[in-house]
Amino acid sequence: MPRYAMVIDERRCIGCMACIAACKAENEVPPGSFRTRVRETVEGKFPYLRMEIRSELCNHCDNPPCVYNCPTQASYKDEETGMVLLAKEKCVGCKACVAACPYDARYVNHEKGVVDKCTFCSHRVAKGETTACVTTCVGGSRVFGDLDDPKSLVSQLLALHPAETLLASAGTEPRVFYIRRSGKPK
Amino acid sequence: MEVTVTGINALAFPHIHVWDWRVALYLFLGGLSAGLAVMAAVLHLYRNGDLTYKEGSSWIAPLLVPVVLGIGMLFIFLDLENKLNVFRFYMTVQILSPMSWGSWGLLAFFPLSALFALGALPERHYGWLKLTFLKTLARNMNRQLQCLAILNLLMGVFIGIYTGVLLSSFVARPLWNSSILPILFLLSALSAGAALMIIVARSLQAKLFFTKLDVILIAAEMTVLPLFFYGQYTSSAAHRMSILPFFTFTHEYLWYGAAIILIGVVFPFALVLKMIELRPGHVSEITRGVIFRMHLSATLVLIGSAVVRFAFVYAGQLSSFS
Repeated sequence: MPRYAMVIDERRCIGCMACIAACKAENEVPPGSFRTRVRETVEGKFPYLRMEIRSELCNHCDNPPCVYNCPTQASYKDEETGMVLLAKEKCVGCKACVAACPYDARYVNHEKGVVDKCTFCSHRVAKGETTACVTTCVGGSRVFGDLDDPKSLVSQLLALHPAETLLASAGTEPRVFYIRRSGKPK
Repeated sequence: MEVTVTGINALAFPHIHVWDWRVALYLFLGGLSAGLAVMAAVLHLYRNGDLTYKEGSSWIAPLLVPVVLGIGMLFIFLDLENKLNVFRFYMTVQILSPMSWGSWGLLAFFPLSALFALGALPERHYGWLKLTFLKTLARNMNRQLQCLAILNLLMGVFIGIYTGVLLSSFVARPLWNSSILPILFLLSALSAGAALMIIVARSLQAKLFFTKLDVILIAAEMTVLPLFFYGQYTSSAAHRMSILPFFTFTHEYLWYGAAIILIGVVFPFALVLKMIELRPGHVSEITRGVIFRMHLSATLVLIGSAVVRFAFVYAGQLSSFS
Protein backbone atom coordinates (compact mmCIF):
# COMPACT_ATOMS: atom_id res chain seq x y z
CA MET A 1 0.00 0.00 0.00
CA PRO A 2 1.51 3.36 -0.98
CA ARG A 3 2.44 6.00 1.58
CA TYR A 4 2.34 9.22 -0.40
CA ALA A 5 4.49 12.18 0.51
CA MET A 6 5.96 15.29 -1.05
CA VAL A 7 9.52 16.53 -0.95
CA ILE A 8 10.12 20.20 -1.64
CA ASP A 9 13.68 20.96 -2.64
CA GLU A 10 13.99 24.65 -1.79
CA ARG A 11 17.28 24.87 -3.65
CA ARG A 12 15.48 24.31 -6.93
CA CYS A 13 12.53 26.66 -6.36
CA ILE A 14 12.64 29.84 -8.44
CA GLY A 15 9.51 31.36 -6.96
CA CYS A 16 7.58 31.39 -10.27
CA MET A 17 4.28 30.65 -8.47
CA ALA A 18 3.25 28.29 -11.27
CA CYS A 19 2.34 25.69 -8.62
CA ILE A 20 -0.26 28.09 -7.21
CA ALA A 21 -1.79 28.72 -10.64
CA ALA A 22 -1.77 25.03 -11.59
CA CYS A 23 -3.41 24.05 -8.30
CA LYS A 24 -6.13 26.66 -8.66
CA ALA A 25 -6.89 25.63 -12.23
CA GLU A 26 -6.83 21.89 -11.54
CA ASN A 27 -8.97 22.01 -8.41
CA GLU A 28 -11.24 24.92 -9.31
CA VAL A 29 -10.20 26.79 -6.21
CA PRO A 30 -12.43 29.88 -5.87
CA PRO A 31 -11.00 33.40 -6.24
CA GLY A 32 -9.28 34.61 -3.09
CA SER A 33 -8.63 31.08 -1.83
CA PHE A 34 -5.53 28.94 -2.23
CA ARG A 35 -4.52 25.36 -1.48
CA THR A 36 -0.85 26.12 -1.74
CA ARG A 37 1.21 29.25 -1.15
CA VAL A 38 4.79 30.43 -1.58
CA ARG A 39 6.55 32.19 1.26
CA GLU A 40 9.61 34.31 0.48
CA THR A 41 11.73 35.19 3.50
CA VAL A 42 14.68 37.57 3.30
CA GLU A 43 17.11 37.39 6.23
CA GLY A 44 20.27 39.21 7.19
CA LYS A 45 21.63 42.74 6.61
CA PHE A 46 22.52 44.21 3.25
CA PRO A 47 24.71 43.17 1.46
CA TYR A 48 24.76 39.87 3.34
CA LEU A 49 21.28 38.66 2.56
CA ARG A 50 19.74 35.24 2.24
CA MET A 51 16.43 34.46 0.67
CA GLU A 52 14.39 31.37 1.35
CA ILE A 53 11.54 30.50 -0.99
CA ARG A 54 9.27 27.92 0.55
CA SER A 55 6.17 26.32 -0.90
CA GLU A 56 3.60 25.45 1.70
CA LEU A 57 0.53 23.26 1.51
CA CYS A 58 -1.41 20.75 3.59
CA ASN A 59 1.14 18.49 5.24
CA HIS A 60 -1.10 15.40 5.16
CA CYS A 61 0.04 14.71 8.70
CA ASP A 62 0.19 11.21 10.13
CA ASN A 63 -1.11 12.68 13.39
CA PRO A 64 -3.62 15.18 11.96
CA PRO A 65 -5.26 17.56 14.46
CA CYS A 66 -7.82 18.57 11.83
CA VAL A 67 -9.08 14.99 11.63
CA TYR A 68 -9.21 14.56 15.40
CA ASN A 69 -11.16 17.78 15.84
CA CYS A 70 -13.69 17.13 13.10
CA PRO A 71 -17.03 16.37 14.77
CA THR A 72 -18.63 14.74 11.73
CA GLN A 73 -15.82 12.60 10.26
CA ALA A 74 -15.81 14.86 7.20
CA SER A 75 -12.03 15.17 7.57
CA TYR A 76 -10.40 11.79 7.46
CA LYS A 77 -7.10 10.09 6.94
CA ASP A 78 -7.37 7.82 3.92
CA GLU A 79 -6.22 4.40 5.06
CA GLU A 80 -4.98 3.33 1.62
CA THR A 81 -2.92 6.37 0.69
CA GLY A 82 -2.36 8.16 3.98
CA MET A 83 -3.71 11.39 2.48
CA VAL A 84 -5.79 13.68 4.65
CA LEU A 85 -9.00 14.13 2.67
CA LEU A 86 -12.47 15.60 3.02
CA ALA A 87 -15.85 13.99 2.60
CA LYS A 88 -17.49 17.26 1.66
CA GLU A 89 -21.02 15.93 1.93
CA LYS A 90 -20.41 15.44 5.67
CA CYS A 91 -18.94 18.90 6.33
CA VAL A 92 -21.08 21.27 8.40
CA GLY A 93 -18.63 24.15 8.09
CA CYS A 94 -17.97 24.45 11.82
CA LYS A 95 -14.37 25.46 11.02
CA ALA A 96 -12.88 23.45 13.90
CA CYS A 97 -10.41 21.94 11.43
CA VAL A 98 -9.32 25.41 10.27
CA ALA A 99 -8.58 26.41 13.85
CA ALA A 100 -6.89 23.06 14.54
CA CYS A 101 -4.43 23.16 11.63
CA PRO A 102 -1.04 24.53 12.76
CA TYR A 103 -0.13 25.16 9.11
CA ASP A 104 -3.20 27.29 8.30
CA ALA A 105 -3.63 25.08 5.26
CA ARG A 106 -7.42 25.15 5.09
CA TYR A 107 -9.89 27.65 3.75
CA VAL A 108 -13.66 27.99 3.59
CA ASN A 109 -15.29 27.54 0.21
CA HIS A 110 -18.20 29.91 0.74
CA GLU A 111 -19.83 28.92 -2.56
CA LYS A 112 -20.18 25.31 -1.44
CA GLY A 113 -20.44 26.00 2.29
CA VAL A 114 -17.61 23.61 3.11
CA VAL A 115 -14.03 23.76 4.27
CA ASP A 116 -11.49 22.76 1.64
CA LYS A 117 -7.80 21.98 1.34
CA CYS A 118 -5.07 20.33 -0.71
CA THR A 119 -5.87 16.71 -1.51
CA PHE A 120 -2.47 15.84 -3.04
CA CYS A 121 -4.60 15.79 -6.23
CA SER A 122 -6.00 12.42 -5.14
CA HIS A 123 -8.20 12.31 -8.26
CA ARG A 124 -5.09 12.46 -10.45
CA VAL A 125 -3.08 10.09 -8.26
CA ALA A 126 -5.91 7.53 -8.51
CA LYS A 127 -5.38 7.58 -12.30
CA GLY A 128 -1.66 7.02 -11.90
CA GLU A 129 -0.73 10.64 -12.50
CA THR A 130 1.15 12.99 -10.22
CA THR A 131 -0.14 16.19 -8.62
CA ALA A 132 -0.82 19.32 -10.70
CA CYS A 133 1.75 21.40 -8.82
CA VAL A 134 4.47 18.79 -9.36
CA THR A 135 3.61 18.49 -13.06
CA THR A 136 3.98 22.22 -13.57
CA CYS A 137 7.03 22.83 -11.35
CA VAL A 138 9.66 24.08 -13.82
CA GLY A 139 12.60 23.80 -11.44
CA GLY A 140 11.72 20.30 -10.30
CA SER A 141 11.48 21.61 -6.76
CA ARG A 142 8.33 19.69 -5.92
CA VAL A 143 8.53 15.92 -5.96
CA PHE A 144 5.66 13.56 -5.16
CA GLY A 145 5.82 9.86 -4.57
CA ASP A 146 5.55 6.80 -2.39
CA LEU A 147 7.68 6.73 0.76
CA ASP A 148 7.44 2.93 0.88
CA ASP A 149 8.92 2.56 -2.58
CA PRO A 150 12.72 2.82 -2.25
CA LYS A 151 12.98 3.55 -5.99
CA SER A 152 10.66 6.54 -5.86
CA LEU A 153 12.25 9.94 -6.20
CA VAL A 154 10.95 11.07 -2.79
CA SER A 155 12.63 8.10 -1.09
CA GLN A 156 15.85 8.70 -2.96
CA LEU A 157 15.91 12.41 -2.16
CA LEU A 158 15.19 11.77 1.52
CA ALA A 159 17.96 9.15 1.59
CA LEU A 160 20.45 11.57 0.04
CA HIS A 161 19.63 14.83 1.80
CA PRO A 162 18.82 15.92 5.32
CA ALA A 163 15.21 17.02 5.24
CA GLU A 164 13.03 18.88 7.69
CA THR A 165 9.32 19.09 8.34
CA LEU A 166 7.47 22.24 9.39
CA LEU A 167 6.63 22.73 13.08
CA ALA A 168 7.93 19.29 13.99
CA SER A 169 7.47 20.16 17.66
CA ALA A 170 3.68 20.29 17.14
CA GLY A 171 3.84 16.50 16.88
CA THR A 172 1.75 16.29 13.74
CA GLU A 173 4.23 14.11 11.82
CA PRO A 174 3.91 15.85 8.46
CA ARG A 175 4.36 14.10 5.12
CA VAL A 176 5.75 17.14 3.35
CA PHE A 177 9.52 17.29 3.67
CA TYR A 178 11.78 20.24 2.95
CA ILE A 179 15.34 20.15 1.68
CA ARG A 180 16.74 23.54 2.64
CA ARG A 181 19.53 25.67 1.31
CA SER A 182 22.56 25.33 3.52
CA GLY A 183 24.46 28.26 4.93
CA LYS A 184 23.44 31.43 6.68
CA PRO A 185 24.05 35.09 5.87
CA LYS A 186 27.36 36.36 7.27
CA MET B 1 13.41 39.70 8.32
CA GLU B 2 11.09 40.42 5.42
CA VAL B 3 8.36 37.97 4.54
CA THR B 4 6.24 37.98 1.39
CA VAL B 5 3.59 35.36 0.95
CA THR B 6 1.85 34.69 -2.35
CA GLY B 7 -1.33 32.66 -2.20
CA ILE B 8 -2.55 33.37 1.30
CA ASN B 9 -6.14 32.75 2.28
CA ALA B 10 -7.98 35.74 3.66
CA LEU B 11 -9.21 33.47 6.44
CA ALA B 12 -5.67 32.90 7.67
CA PHE B 13 -3.97 36.23 7.11
CA PRO B 14 -2.45 37.91 9.01
CA HIS B 15 -3.88 35.44 11.51
CA ILE B 16 -6.84 33.09 11.41
CA HIS B 17 -10.27 34.57 12.03
CA VAL B 18 -12.63 31.66 11.75
CA TRP B 19 -14.83 32.35 14.73
CA ASP B 20 -16.43 35.70 15.45
CA TRP B 21 -18.83 37.20 17.98
CA ARG B 22 -21.42 34.49 17.30
CA VAL B 23 -19.14 31.81 18.70
CA ALA B 24 -18.01 34.02 21.59
CA LEU B 25 -21.65 34.77 22.43
CA TYR B 26 -22.52 31.09 22.21
CA LEU B 27 -19.69 30.23 24.59
CA PHE B 28 -20.88 32.91 27.01
CA LEU B 29 -24.57 31.97 26.84
CA GLY B 30 -23.76 28.24 26.87
CA GLY B 31 -21.60 28.78 29.94
CA LEU B 32 -24.22 31.00 31.56
CA SER B 33 -26.98 28.45 31.04
CA ALA B 34 -24.70 25.70 32.37
CA GLY B 35 -23.83 27.77 35.45
CA LEU B 36 -27.48 28.69 35.97
CA ALA B 37 -28.52 25.03 35.72
CA VAL B 38 -25.96 24.14 38.39
CA MET B 39 -27.11 26.97 40.67
CA ALA B 40 -30.81 26.17 40.17
CA ALA B 41 -30.03 22.55 40.98
CA VAL B 42 -28.09 23.61 44.10
CA LEU B 43 -31.09 25.69 45.21
CA HIS B 44 -33.32 22.62 44.95
CA LEU B 45 -30.86 20.22 46.52
CA TYR B 46 -29.47 22.40 49.35
CA ARG B 47 -31.01 21.23 52.62
CA ASN B 48 -33.69 19.35 50.70
CA GLY B 49 -34.87 22.52 49.01
CA ASP B 50 -35.32 24.68 52.14
CA LEU B 51 -34.40 27.80 50.17
CA THR B 52 -37.03 27.17 47.48
CA TYR B 53 -39.89 27.98 49.88
CA LYS B 54 -41.74 31.00 48.44
CA GLU B 55 -38.70 31.65 46.29
CA GLY B 56 -39.46 32.72 42.71
CA SER B 57 -36.02 31.79 41.44
CA SER B 58 -36.77 28.14 42.20
CA TRP B 59 -38.83 28.03 38.99
CA ILE B 60 -37.67 31.16 37.11
CA ALA B 61 -34.02 30.02 37.04
CA PRO B 62 -34.79 26.52 35.65
CA LEU B 63 -37.06 28.21 33.11
CA LEU B 64 -34.28 30.57 32.03
CA VAL B 65 -31.80 27.74 31.45
CA PRO B 66 -33.32 26.33 28.21
CA VAL B 67 -34.14 29.87 27.02
CA VAL B 68 -30.55 31.12 27.43
CA LEU B 69 -29.16 27.85 26.06
CA GLY B 70 -31.53 28.01 23.08
CA ILE B 71 -30.39 31.54 22.21
CA GLY B 72 -26.76 30.43 22.51
CA MET B 73 -27.37 27.40 20.29
CA LEU B 74 -29.03 29.64 17.72
CA PHE B 75 -25.85 31.71 17.45
CA ILE B 76 -23.57 28.68 17.04
CA PHE B 77 -25.98 27.40 14.39
CA LEU B 78 -25.75 30.74 12.59
CA ASP B 79 -21.96 30.36 12.51
CA LEU B 80 -22.11 27.09 10.56
CA GLU B 81 -21.20 27.41 6.89
CA ASN B 82 -23.44 24.54 5.84
CA LYS B 83 -26.49 24.80 8.08
CA LEU B 84 -28.48 22.10 6.29
CA ASN B 85 -25.83 19.58 7.31
CA VAL B 86 -26.30 20.22 11.04
CA PHE B 87 -27.78 16.72 11.44
CA ARG B 88 -24.31 15.34 10.60
CA PHE B 89 -23.25 16.14 14.18
CA TYR B 90 -25.60 13.38 15.27
CA MET B 91 -24.60 10.73 12.74
CA THR B 92 -21.38 9.90 14.56
CA VAL B 93 -19.58 10.13 17.90
CA GLN B 94 -16.02 11.36 17.61
CA ILE B 95 -14.28 10.67 20.90
CA LEU B 96 -11.33 12.99 20.16
CA SER B 97 -13.47 15.90 18.99
CA PRO B 98 -14.75 18.12 21.82
CA MET B 99 -17.20 19.65 19.35
CA SER B 100 -18.68 16.18 18.85
CA TRP B 101 -19.16 15.54 22.57
CA GLY B 102 -20.43 19.10 22.97
CA SER B 103 -23.08 18.65 20.31
CA TRP B 104 -24.22 15.38 21.90
CA GLY B 105 -24.06 17.01 25.32
CA LEU B 106 -26.27 19.87 24.17
CA LEU B 107 -28.72 17.36 22.74
CA ALA B 108 -29.01 15.80 26.22
CA PHE B 109 -28.80 19.04 28.20
CA PHE B 110 -31.52 20.96 26.36
CA PRO B 111 -34.39 18.48 26.98
CA LEU B 112 -33.14 17.79 30.52
CA SER B 113 -33.19 21.51 31.33
CA ALA B 114 -36.65 21.83 29.74
CA LEU B 115 -37.94 18.93 31.88
CA PHE B 116 -36.38 20.54 34.97
CA ALA B 117 -38.13 23.81 34.08
CA LEU B 118 -41.44 21.99 33.65
CA GLY B 119 -41.04 20.11 36.91
CA ALA B 120 -40.11 23.25 38.85
CA LEU B 121 -43.06 25.24 37.50
CA PRO B 122 -45.52 25.94 40.35
CA GLU B 123 -49.04 24.56 39.89
CA ARG B 124 -50.48 28.06 39.90
CA HIS B 125 -48.74 28.67 36.57
CA TYR B 126 -49.96 25.49 34.87
CA GLY B 127 -52.40 27.73 32.99
CA TRP B 128 -49.43 28.80 30.83
CA LEU B 129 -49.18 25.24 29.51
CA LYS B 130 -51.73 25.17 26.73
CA LEU B 131 -51.32 21.49 25.91
CA THR B 132 -52.81 18.95 28.34
CA PHE B 133 -49.93 16.52 28.02
CA LEU B 134 -47.54 19.25 29.15
CA LYS B 135 -49.54 19.66 32.37
CA THR B 136 -49.38 15.91 32.97
CA LEU B 137 -45.67 15.93 32.16
CA ALA B 138 -45.11 18.87 34.53
CA ARG B 139 -46.87 16.99 37.35
CA ASN B 140 -44.83 13.86 36.69
CA MET B 141 -41.58 15.81 36.48
CA ASN B 142 -42.41 17.61 39.73
CA ARG B 143 -42.28 14.23 41.47
CA GLN B 144 -38.79 13.66 40.01
CA LEU B 145 -37.53 17.17 40.76
CA GLN B 146 -34.60 16.12 42.96
CA CYS B 147 -33.46 13.60 40.38
CA LEU B 148 -33.78 16.20 37.59
CA ALA B 149 -31.82 18.67 39.72
CA ILE B 150 -28.96 16.18 40.07
CA LEU B 151 -28.94 15.46 36.33
CA ASN B 152 -28.99 19.19 35.52
CA LEU B 153 -26.15 19.79 37.94
CA LEU B 154 -24.04 17.11 36.27
CA MET B 155 -24.89 18.29 32.74
CA GLY B 156 -24.26 21.91 33.77
CA VAL B 157 -20.76 21.04 34.94
CA PHE B 158 -20.17 19.05 31.74
CA ILE B 159 -21.29 21.88 29.44
CA GLY B 160 -19.39 24.46 31.52
CA ILE B 161 -16.16 22.47 31.12
CA TYR B 162 -16.81 21.55 27.48
CA THR B 163 -16.86 25.18 26.31
CA GLY B 164 -13.27 25.46 27.55
CA VAL B 165 -12.16 22.05 26.29
CA LEU B 166 -13.46 23.00 22.84
CA LEU B 167 -10.83 25.71 22.63
CA SER B 168 -8.07 24.03 24.61
CA SER B 169 -7.89 21.04 22.25
CA PHE B 170 -6.28 23.05 19.46
CA VAL B 171 -2.53 22.48 19.49
CA ALA B 172 -2.29 25.07 16.70
CA ARG B 173 -3.51 27.94 18.93
CA PRO B 174 -1.11 28.38 21.84
CA LEU B 175 -3.39 30.73 23.80
CA TRP B 176 -6.17 28.16 23.88
CA ASN B 177 -3.98 25.10 24.19
CA SER B 178 -3.90 25.06 27.99
CA SER B 179 -5.53 22.61 30.37
CA ILE B 180 -6.31 25.52 32.71
CA LEU B 181 -8.71 27.05 30.19
CA PRO B 182 -11.56 24.55 30.79
CA ILE B 183 -11.27 25.16 34.54
CA LEU B 184 -11.29 28.93 33.98
CA PHE B 185 -14.35 28.67 31.73
CA LEU B 186 -16.12 26.40 34.22
CA LEU B 187 -15.48 28.83 37.09
CA SER B 188 -16.56 31.71 34.87
CA ALA B 189 -19.76 29.83 33.92
CA LEU B 190 -20.56 28.98 37.54
CA SER B 191 -19.90 32.52 38.82
CA ALA B 192 -22.07 33.94 35.99
CA GLY B 193 -24.79 31.43 36.92
CA ALA B 194 -24.60 32.45 40.58
CA ALA B 195 -24.71 36.12 39.56
CA LEU B 196 -27.86 35.59 37.53
CA MET B 197 -29.39 33.71 40.48
CA ILE B 198 -28.71 36.72 42.70
CA ILE B 199 -30.61 38.91 40.25
CA VAL B 200 -33.48 36.46 39.87
CA ALA B 201 -33.83 35.48 43.54
CA ARG B 202 -36.47 37.29 45.58
CA SER B 203 -35.68 36.40 49.19
CA LEU B 204 -32.79 37.90 51.12
CA GLN B 205 -31.80 34.42 52.27
CA ALA B 206 -31.42 33.11 48.71
CA LYS B 207 -29.64 36.26 47.52
CA LEU B 208 -27.13 36.03 50.37
CA PHE B 209 -26.65 32.29 49.80
CA PHE B 210 -25.70 32.84 46.15
CA THR B 211 -23.62 35.88 47.07
CA LYS B 212 -21.55 33.64 49.34
CA LEU B 213 -21.20 31.07 46.56
CA ASP B 214 -20.26 33.76 44.05
CA VAL B 215 -17.55 35.15 46.37
CA ILE B 216 -15.88 31.72 46.45
CA LEU B 217 -16.23 31.28 42.68
CA ILE B 218 -14.91 34.76 41.83
CA ALA B 219 -11.98 34.29 44.21
CA ALA B 220 -11.21 30.98 42.50
CA GLU B 221 -11.50 32.61 39.05
CA MET B 222 -9.20 35.44 40.12
CA THR B 223 -6.67 32.85 41.25
CA VAL B 224 -6.88 30.74 38.11
CA LEU B 225 -6.68 33.65 35.64
CA PRO B 226 -3.20 34.91 36.72
CA LEU B 227 -2.05 31.27 36.91
CA PHE B 228 -3.17 30.81 33.32
CA PHE B 229 -1.14 33.83 32.18
CA TYR B 230 1.83 32.70 34.29
CA GLY B 231 1.66 29.24 32.73
CA GLN B 232 1.61 30.73 29.24
CA TYR B 233 4.46 33.13 30.03
CA THR B 234 6.73 30.38 31.32
CA SER B 235 5.92 28.01 28.47
CA SER B 236 7.24 27.99 24.87
CA ALA B 237 7.92 31.17 22.90
CA ALA B 238 4.65 30.73 21.00
CA HIS B 239 2.72 30.45 24.27
CA ARG B 240 4.48 33.52 25.66
CA MET B 241 3.71 35.47 22.49
CA SER B 242 0.08 34.39 22.66
CA ILE B 243 -0.62 36.45 25.78
CA LEU B 244 1.11 39.58 24.47
CA PRO B 245 -2.09 41.14 23.07
CA PHE B 246 -3.36 41.42 26.65
CA PHE B 247 -0.29 43.20 27.97
CA THR B 248 1.20 45.35 25.20
CA PHE B 249 -1.39 48.14 25.41
CA THR B 250 -0.71 49.32 21.87
CA HIS B 251 -3.39 50.60 19.51
CA GLU B 252 -3.19 47.33 17.57
CA TYR B 253 -4.31 45.35 20.60
CA LEU B 254 -6.37 48.06 22.26
CA TRP B 255 -9.40 45.85 22.92
CA TYR B 256 -7.33 43.10 24.52
CA GLY B 257 -5.60 45.55 26.85
CA ALA B 258 -8.99 47.07 27.66
CA ALA B 259 -10.38 43.58 28.32
CA ILE B 260 -7.64 42.68 30.79
CA ILE B 261 -8.05 46.02 32.58
CA LEU B 262 -11.82 45.53 32.67
CA ILE B 263 -11.45 42.00 34.04
CA GLY B 264 -8.90 43.28 36.55
CA VAL B 265 -11.35 45.93 37.76
CA VAL B 266 -14.73 44.26 37.38
CA PHE B 267 -14.09 41.07 39.36
CA PRO B 268 -12.33 42.66 42.35
CA PHE B 269 -14.96 45.43 42.49
CA ALA B 270 -17.77 42.88 42.37
CA LEU B 271 -15.99 40.88 45.05
CA VAL B 272 -15.66 43.91 47.34
CA LEU B 273 -19.35 44.76 46.89
CA LYS B 274 -20.29 41.20 47.76
CA MET B 275 -18.01 41.13 50.80
CA ILE B 276 -19.74 44.29 52.09
CA GLU B 277 -23.12 42.56 51.83
CA LEU B 278 -21.80 39.51 53.63
CA ARG B 279 -20.49 41.40 56.71
CA PRO B 280 -22.28 39.99 59.77
CA GLY B 281 -25.39 42.06 60.50
CA HIS B 282 -24.85 44.35 57.52
CA VAL B 283 -27.98 43.23 55.71
CA SER B 284 -31.03 42.45 57.79
CA GLU B 285 -33.70 43.44 55.32
CA ILE B 286 -33.88 44.04 51.61
CA THR B 287 -33.80 47.77 50.96
CA ARG B 288 -33.47 49.40 47.56
CA GLY B 289 -29.82 50.17 48.27
CA VAL B 290 -29.04 46.56 49.15
CA ILE B 291 -30.78 45.29 46.01
CA PHE B 292 -28.93 47.86 43.90
CA ARG B 293 -25.54 46.84 45.27
CA MET B 294 -26.29 43.13 44.91
CA HIS B 295 -27.55 43.52 41.36
CA LEU B 296 -24.68 45.82 40.45
CA SER B 297 -22.08 43.31 41.62
CA ALA B 298 -23.97 40.49 39.85
CA THR B 299 -24.13 42.51 36.62
CA LEU B 300 -20.38 43.18 36.88
CA VAL B 301 -19.73 39.46 37.18
CA LEU B 302 -21.88 38.79 34.11
CA ILE B 303 -20.00 41.48 32.16
CA GLY B 304 -16.66 40.05 33.32
CA SER B 305 -17.70 36.58 32.26
CA ALA B 306 -18.73 37.79 28.79
CA VAL B 307 -15.47 39.77 28.43
CA VAL B 308 -13.44 36.64 29.31
CA ARG B 309 -15.17 34.64 26.54
CA PHE B 310 -14.94 37.34 23.90
CA ALA B 311 -11.31 38.19 24.72
CA PHE B 312 -10.20 34.57 24.66
CA VAL B 313 -12.06 33.66 21.46
CA TYR B 314 -10.55 36.59 19.56
CA ALA B 315 -7.08 36.60 21.11
CA GLY B 316 -6.69 32.85 20.60
CA GLN B 317 -7.02 33.36 16.88
CA LEU B 318 -4.11 35.81 16.91
CA SER B 319 -1.83 33.11 18.26
CA SER B 320 -0.03 30.50 16.21
CA PHE B 321 3.18 28.50 16.07
CA SER B 322 4.40 29.81 12.74
